[in-house]
Amino acid sequence: MKSLFYQWHADPLIILMVMTLIYLHYRKSGTSTIKSRFCFWSAIGLVLITTCSPLHFLGMHVYFSAHMVNHVILLLIAGPLLVMSIGTKPSAPMFKKISLFLHKRSWPAWLTAVIIMWCWHIPFLFDRSFAGMSGFTLMPLVHAGSMLLAGILFSWPLVGPFPELHIHPLSGIIYLATACISCSLLGLLITFAPIHTYQYYLETGAAMNGMRSNPWSLTPAADQQAAGLVMWVPCCFVYMAGCLYLLRRWFASQEPNFGRDASISLSTLMTNHE
Amino acid sequence: MSDINFIPEPEEPIPSLSVSNNQGILQWISSVDHKQIGIMYLWLSVLFLVIAGIEILLVRLQLAIPNNHFLAPEVYNQLFTMHGTTMIFFVAMPAIFGFTTYLVPLMIGANDMAFPRLNAFSFWTTFFGGSLLYFSFLAGGAPDAGWFNYAPLNEYNYSSSPGIDYYCSGLLFAGIGTLTASVNFIVTILHYRVLPMSLKQLPLFVWMILINSFLVLAAFPSLNAALAMLLLDRQLHAHFFSAAGGGSAILWQHLFWLFGHPEVYIVILPIFGIFSEVFPVFSRKPIFGYGMVVGSGVAIALLAFGVWIHHMFATGLGNTVNSFFAASSLLIGIPTGVKIFNWLATMHGGAIRFSVSMLFAIAFLIEFTIGGLSGISFAIVPIDWQLTDTYYVVAHLHFVFIGGTLFGLLSGLFYWFPKMSGRLPDPRLSKWFFWLFVAGFNITFLVQHALGAMGMPRRVYTYPDLPGWGILNLISTIGAFLMAGSVGLLVFILVRAIKKGAVASPDAWDANTLEWTTSSPPGLKNFDRVIPVKSTRPFRDYKRPEDADWNRPEGARKHEGKYIPQNNPHGK
Repeated sequence: MKSLFYQWHADPLIILMVMTLIYLHYRKSGTSTIKSRFCFWSAIGLVLITTCSPLHFLGMHVYFSAHMVNHVILLLIAGPLLVMSIGTKPSAPMFKKISLFLHKRSWPAWLTAVIIMWCWHIPFLFDRSFAGMSGFTLMPLVHAGSMLLAGILFSWPLVGPFPELHIHPLSGIIYLATACISCSLLGLLITFAPIHTYQYYLETGAAMNGMRSNPWSLTPAADQQAAGLVMWVPCCFVYMAGCLYLLRRWFASQEPNFGRDASISLSTLMTNHE
Repeated sequence: MSDINFIPEPEEPIPSLSVSNNQGILQWISSVDHKQIGIMYLWLSVLFLVIAGIEILLVRLQLAIPNNHFLAPEVYNQLFTMHGTTMIFFVAMPAIFGFTTYLVPLMIGANDMAFPRLNAFSFWTTFFGGSLLYFSFLAGGAPDAGWFNYAPLNEYNYSSSPGIDYYCSGLLFAGIGTLTASVNFIVTILHYRVLPMSLKQLPLFVWMILINSFLVLAAFPSLNAALAMLLLDRQLHAHFFSAAGGGSAILWQHLFWLFGHPEVYIVILPIFGIFSEVFPVFSRKPIFGYGMVVGSGVAIALLAFGVWIHHMFATGLGNTVNSFFAASSLLIGIPTGVKIFNWLATMHGGAIRFSVSMLFAIAFLIEFTIGGLSGISFAIVPIDWQLTDTYYVVAHLHFVFIGGTLFGLLSGLFYWFPKMSGRLPDPRLSKWFFWLFVAGFNITFLVQHALGAMGMPRRVYTYPDLPGWGILNLISTIGAFLMAGSVGLLVFILVRAIKKGAVASPDAWDANTLEWTTSSPPGLKNFDRVIPVKSTRPFRDYKRPEDADWNRPEGARKHEGKYIPQNNPHGK
C-alpha cells in the first residue's frame, strides 16, 4: 500500500469546478486587491486540500473524523474566504442581486447551510453518498460543491461584497450563534450516536482487514466521537471568532450622530430590516 | 368601572407594611412597579439566604468533629441538597433578577419594564417555586440527591419520598419565572431605552444583562425538559433515566449540565456587569476597554455551550471526548481573564475611593481568581479524576459562587442601597461586616482545598479521625459561623439604615449613569425628565460639560492613560 502522503487524487469534475471559480474570480469579481487575492488563493488551496490531497483520502477511506475536518474547512473557512475574495466593485450584476436578496432575507442563507450540513449526515444518505464516490460520477462534485455553496451562502450576508448590504453586526452575532447551536447539536448527535449508526467506516475497516492505513490507531468508536467533536467544539470556536470579528466591526464603525439611528431593535435583530 | 383602582399605585416610593389600607402589604402584593418587584426579589433572596445558611450551619456542626452523630444520614442528605438548590435557584438567581428588575429601566431611562404584569408574574412564580420546594419538608421529606440530582438516585426506587417531586415542580416554576423575566429584560433593553441612547452607550451592567438573558433563553429549556422528564419517570413510570427500562442515567447528566454550565455563567455575567459599574465610579475613571468587556461577555456566553462535558470527565466518556473538552475548558479562562485585566487597568492610575462596595470589588479580584485557577486545574483530566467529588470541588465552587457571585451582589448592594432606600448604611459597621465576612469566607473554604487534596469526599455525613481531617473541618466550621454572624450583622445594618440611617443624596457616589439622576428612592415613574445621553457616562457629562466624554478629542479618548481623574476635572 502506498504511503499516505502519496495519496493524491484529482477528480476531473472537481478540477473543472476549481477552474470555473478561477475564471469567475478574474472575470467577474471586480477590483482585485492583495487581500482579495490572498483570500481567493487560500480558498482554492483549501478546496484542493479537501478534495484531492491525502486529507481527502483519509476522509474518504479511513477516518470519519478526517471527513468531518473536510466538511468544516469547506463550509466554515473556504466558503467565507471565497466570498471575501470578491472585490469591491464586482462587474457581474448577479452579485448585487444576491446581496440585495440576502440583505432583506438572510434566513434562507442560514437555513440552506444548516439543511445541507444536516442532510449529509443523515445515516442513510451518509452511507449511500460514499457508494457514489467511486468511479467517474457526479457525487464528488455534488458533495464538495454543496458544502462550498453552503459556506458561500451562509457567509454572504456577513462578509459579502457590498458592505452597505451586510446585515447589522449584532444581527450577525445572533445569526452565527444560532448556527453554532445547530452545529453543536449535530456534533453532539454524532458523538453520542451508537457505533452502528454510520456503517461506512465500519465496513471499510472490516473489508480492508487491517490493511488500511490507520496512522493514529483510532478505534471506530473513538473515530466517530472525534468526528462529532470536530463538528461540536472547534466549530464553536470558529463561530465565536466570527462573532467577535462582527462585534469589533460594529464598535469600529462610525456613526453619523449619537443617537438611536445607530441602535437596533428586536425586530431588526430578527429580520434585518435596518 | 373607571373609578375602580384594580392595582393601587404607591403613594410613597417605598410603601409601609400596613395591613389596614391598600398602601401596605396589599400594595406590595399587587404591585407591577419594577422597583417594588426588584426589592421583593432581593428580600426573597435574603430570606432564602438565611434559611439555606441555617441548613449549612447544621451540616457544618455535624462535620465539626470526626465520627459525629449530631445529624442522621438521611437528614444530612436533605440539608446539603436543599442548601445547594436554594443557594443557586432561590438566592443567587432572585438576587441577580432583583438588581436587574430594579436597575435596568432606571439605567436606560425608562419608566418601567416592557411587560409590568409579566414582571410580577415572574417574581411570584419564583416565589411559588421556592415555597413548593420547601413544602417538601412538610410533605414527607425534602429532596436528598444533591443539587444536581443525578440519576439513578433521583429515581423512585432510590428516593421514594416525595422530595424529588417537589424539587422538579419547584424548579420548573422557578425556571418558567426565570425565562419570562429574561424575555422581559430583552424587550425592555432593546425597545425602551431613552431615545438618544444607542447600544454603544449602554451601561455595561445592562449589556451583561442583555447577553445573560439570551443565555437564559438557551439554557433553561434543557433543565425544564429534564425536570419534566424526571417527573414523568417518577409519576407515570416513564423510563427516560432508568437504564433497566431502556433509558439512560447519563442522559440526566447531559441535560442537567447543558443547563448547568451556562447557569454558572448566568450567575456571574451580571456580576461582571455590576463590577463594570463599580470599578469606574470608585476609581473615578472610565472603564478600560468598554468593547472588550462586551466582547468577552459574548465570548463567555457562546463558549458556555462548548464546555459542559468537563463536569462529566469521571463518567467514562472516553479519552477522545475528554481531550476536546479539556482543551476548550482551558480556553474559557481567557475571556474571563480579559475582564479581570479590564478592571485592573480601570483602577490603575485612578483616584480610588475605598468604600465598602469597592472593597468587595477588590476582594472579588483576588478570591475569584483563586476560584478560577482551581477551576482551570479541573480542566486537566487526571487532576479532575483525582479530585472529583472531594472537598476540593466544594472549595472551588464556593470560591466562584461566594468570591464571585456573592461578593458582586454585596458590592452592588452597598453601591445601590442608597438609591433604593434613600438611606446610607453605617460606614463603620459596613466595614466591620466586610472584614468579618471575608475572613469567615477564607477560613471556611481555603482549608477545604487541603481537605480535598487529602482525599476527603464530599457529601458524606461523617468521617473517620484521619490525621488532619478533624482540625481542618473544625476550622471550616468556625469560619462558617463567623460568616453567619457577619450575615446577621448585615441584616442589622440594612434594617437600621432603612429605619434611621443618614439620608442619602440622589447622587450618593458622584456616579455616571442615569439611575443617579433621579431622586432616592425614585418616584413611581422614575424620571421627570432624562438628561441627554451622548456617551457611556451621561450623568458625568451632564455634571462636567467642560470635560464631557463626547466632547473630548478623539486622541484623548483613545489614550486613556492621559485621562484626568474625575475628582480633578480641570486637570490642575
